[in-house]
Amino acid sequence: MPEKVLNVEDLHMIYAGGVHAVRGISFEVKQGESVAIIGSSGSGKSTVLRCINRLIEPTDGKIFLNGEQVNTPHTDVNDLRSRIGMVFQSFELFAHLRVLDNITLGLRHVKGMSKSDAEDEAISVLERVDMLDRIDAYPGNLSGGQKQRVAIARALAMKPEVLLFDEPTSALDPELIGSVLETIRGLADEGMTMVVVTHEIGFARDVADRIIYMDQGAVAEEGASSIINNPQTERLKKFLSSLHEDEIVE
Amino acid sequence: MLEEDSRLSEASRSRGTVHIIPISIVILLLISVNPSQASDFESSWEVVESGTSEDLLTATENGGVIWAFGTGGVMVQSADNGITWATFDSPTTSDILNSDSGFGSLLVSGESGLMLLMKSGDESWTDISLPAGANVNGISLTSSETAVAVGPHGTIWSLDEGVWTETNLSIDSDLLEVSFLDDSLGIVVGSDGTILFSDDGGESWEYREAPEGAGDSEIVSVEFYSPTRIYAITDDGRILISMSNVVTGTDVGYIWTLVDFERHYPAGSNEYVLGPSSLDVELTSIEVVTTSKFLMTGEGGYISMSINGGTIVSQQINPLGNNSDFNDVVMLTGFIGVAVGDGGEILWTENAGADDQLGFVVPEYGNFGVFVDETKDMFLSGFLATLKIVAFGIILGFLLGVTLAMCKTSPTSLRYVVERYETKYVRVVGAPILAGGIYLIYTAIPGASDLGLNGIEYIFLPVGAPISFAKILLGIAMFFLGALFLSNDGNFSKVRVGPFTLNPWRVRPLNAIATVYTDFFRNTPLIVQFLFIHFGLRLGALIQDPGLEIFSFENLENNHNFLTDIIAAYDHSEDNYGTLIGGVLYDSAFISAICALGFNSGAYQCETIRGAIQAIPSAQMEAGRSIGLTYLQTMRRVIMPQAIRICIPPMGNEMVNLVLNSSLAMIIGYAELTRQGKLIVASTFQYAYAWGMVLISYFVVTWTLALILRWLEEKTRIPGLGITGGD
Repeated sequence: MPEKVLNVEDLHMIYAGGVHAVRGISFEVKQGESVAIIGSSGSGKSTVLRCINRLIEPTDGKIFLNGEQVNTPHTDVNDLRSRIGMVFQSFELFAHLRVLDNITLGLRHVKGMSKSDAEDEAISVLERVDMLDRIDAYPGNLSGGQKQRVAIARALAMKPEVLLFDEPTSALDPELIGSVLETIRGLADEGMTMVVVTHEIGFARDVADRIIYMDQGAVAEEGASSIINNPQTERLKKFLSSLHEDEIVE
Repeated sequence: MLEEDSRLSEASRSRGTVHIIPISIVILLLISVNPSQASDFESSWEVVESGTSEDLLTATENGGVIWAFGTGGVMVQSADNGITWATFDSPTTSDILNSDSGFGSLLVSGESGLMLLMKSGDESWTDISLPAGANVNGISLTSSETAVAVGPHGTIWSLDEGVWTETNLSIDSDLLEVSFLDDSLGIVVGSDGTILFSDDGGESWEYREAPEGAGDSEIVSVEFYSPTRIYAITDDGRILISMSNVVTGTDVGYIWTLVDFERHYPAGSNEYVLGPSSLDVELTSIEVVTTSKFLMTGEGGYISMSINGGTIVSQQINPLGNNSDFNDVVMLTGFIGVAVGDGGEILWTENAGADDQLGFVVPEYGNFGVFVDETKDMFLSGFLATLKIVAFGIILGFLLGVTLAMCKTSPTSLRYVVERYETKYVRVVGAPILAGGIYLIYTAIPGASDLGLNGIEYIFLPVGAPISFAKILLGIAMFFLGALFLSNDGNFSKVRVGPFTLNPWRVRPLNAIATVYTDFFRNTPLIVQFLFIHFGLRLGALIQDPGLEIFSFENLENNHNFLTDIIAAYDHSEDNYGTLIGGVLYDSAFISAICALGFNSGAYQCETIRGAIQAIPSAQMEAGRSIGLTYLQTMRRVIMPQAIRICIPPMGNEMVNLVLNSSLAMIIGYAELTRQGKLIVASTFQYAYAWGMVLISYFVVTWTLALILRWLEEKTRIPGLGITGGD
């Protein structure tokens, strides 16, 4: 039985303004598993992701990474983040650095690798996302899909134990989505443990091993990817039907 | 692949150009070591024809006629203030060594007891020689027919009614010179620091103590100038002075002191030597012109003048250009006089021997070409001085600006600092902080209340009692901090104060400190900051003194490099070995100016940089943190490189402001461009030329700076980012 990589227990997040964004979420992610979190806007999906690598400090609850609680005051938060990769909706590449330097930055200054070792490592991950030909380009000169693939490479280079995707295709033009999804699918096939927050229901169904449907800050339904075709709860049914029919089929 | 390589090298080249700025600053500093201003002088002494080639050994003036006497009994005289000379028929062929005039009479003495007197009204010499073999060293008339002469081993002769009476004081010292003020007050000097004083026309002599350090010197010449002042000189280059003291009621001649030379100007130079108490010259004669002005001669063609009682001695240029000795100098008036020397040489001056600066003719400043020629050195030195404070001011201001901007944007709220610790620990820490705050306020109150301020006057407390004020501020802060920590319940909740809802946990201490700093410097006039920092705090001197102890010549003698030279540069050449000649620590006004400019500019740059940091999307910080970089690493590697690029255009404004504000440094006496302009106007009265040139000089600096920044902006532009108007 695959070991649990990530375990979230009774997670609560109340923002400073009093918004109760996450209300007691619990789930687990096993080694090599890919979990998709779906749900309507404002259901707390992104908040959950940010709590996992503590970009947001959860109000309550416990988060375990490979069995070790990581939201205690004594956790080295920088070490934790280097073990959890994160890919953002709007890419967030470092605009002043070339593609290669975007990737070597963490390797050199977090992992302490030498410049040449870091560049070798960066070239190997850029090859995995098929971006080797734009190694010297600045992010501003890349297309959205290319940017997101570089962002994935940047997260991958740190050799994370789990990779978090925060709506990786939402900021992309429809014709650019394919290449990014293809890259993520490839990672899933390679056995990368990942949590993907997405609006791409078809992609979730095809790639994810499990799907968590969140509504109003809580898990409304959870199960194998087949629940997309066979929703058990009214709320998921309603959510799915609100999406375009063709999106689900494609 | 080839294309890729070229792109790679292009990228690395654009990064390399960033280093040009520090390099150009270093070059700028190296060329800006204080230039010394040497100027040429010409002698104000003219060589006049004496009509003899005998050595002239002594000179004196009697009734408007200048007499000079010398070897072989030569006598020359001048009736037209020393311009033309005629030989006087001499009754002797013996060398004439001394002369004195007074009461209308003229007395000379020579070898083997020769003594000639030309009584008041006479046209010829009367021989009143001493017995052969008498060695007379000095003579002085005490009336038209009485005189005193001195010689070896304490011998003194008195002349009365044509008869010499010899007295022998039982001392071993040789007496070398005698001088009488009138018919009663006289002074005799001699070897081994001998000083004898008489107040009865030379009938009796009292021993007077030579000043400490002159007890072994030969006092070779003396002049009893006035009832208040006597000057004497020694053969080892020192000047003795005796003054009457009205306060203590001491008469002249009792107390003798050595003159401490403050400065000593070598011939033909306006660069002085800091003098101890010796001129290192064998002095031969002194001629006192006024109470504090005198001229001296010495071995090796030495003539010098002091106009302030010897504090500053300026050596005169010898127009003969050789080392022939001058033996005596005599002044007719304060300005007109002659010096006589070996080989019959006579020098004449009508300018008291003050050397003229070459080209002292007032140039025709109305001619712009002449004006530029005459003033360009001053402009250049002001220009360089301005560049120096600007360069250092920019560096200091930028460092301060970045630091303050980081403080202002840092997320370290009290909650952020505290929330990682358990509630009870925070409370335990809170108690001593609270107590410390109360204690600080308690100890500060006496210092504040002792000032006796009332009501509104207390706003000046920071000036009157800065330490008490700081203690009170710190005490209040600690009081509230301690109280907050003690009340910590782990919820970090808001507090309602009347109509306001506050959250004290969101207070950011670093931000608060930076805000106080920027508010203070942006809400006070820069000119007052200059004045307060330089004259009030004396910050320049406060940094300069300990700085020069650390960067002393001894510490740097063998391991100085260009970096230490920027801080303190010393002369390593033979002449002024070990003299501080440049560097930041050279001038306290320079240090103060850098500080004032840097502190002020830092406050403004802080706001510019803060704006740029806040313009970077917060997700960039998240992205940096998400790969495991720390906050500071992300600031340095991700946020700052982008923020600095954004703020180059507004920073250009700040830099230009800094250059323009540097003109205010003139108020603290720093010789930058505007001050030089003012000095040039003061000496030339060419307002339009001078201020016009100052304007253009500033424009050159700021325009160059603006061009550099534009170029930098272009070079550091990130491809594909931002609307630039270009490709």
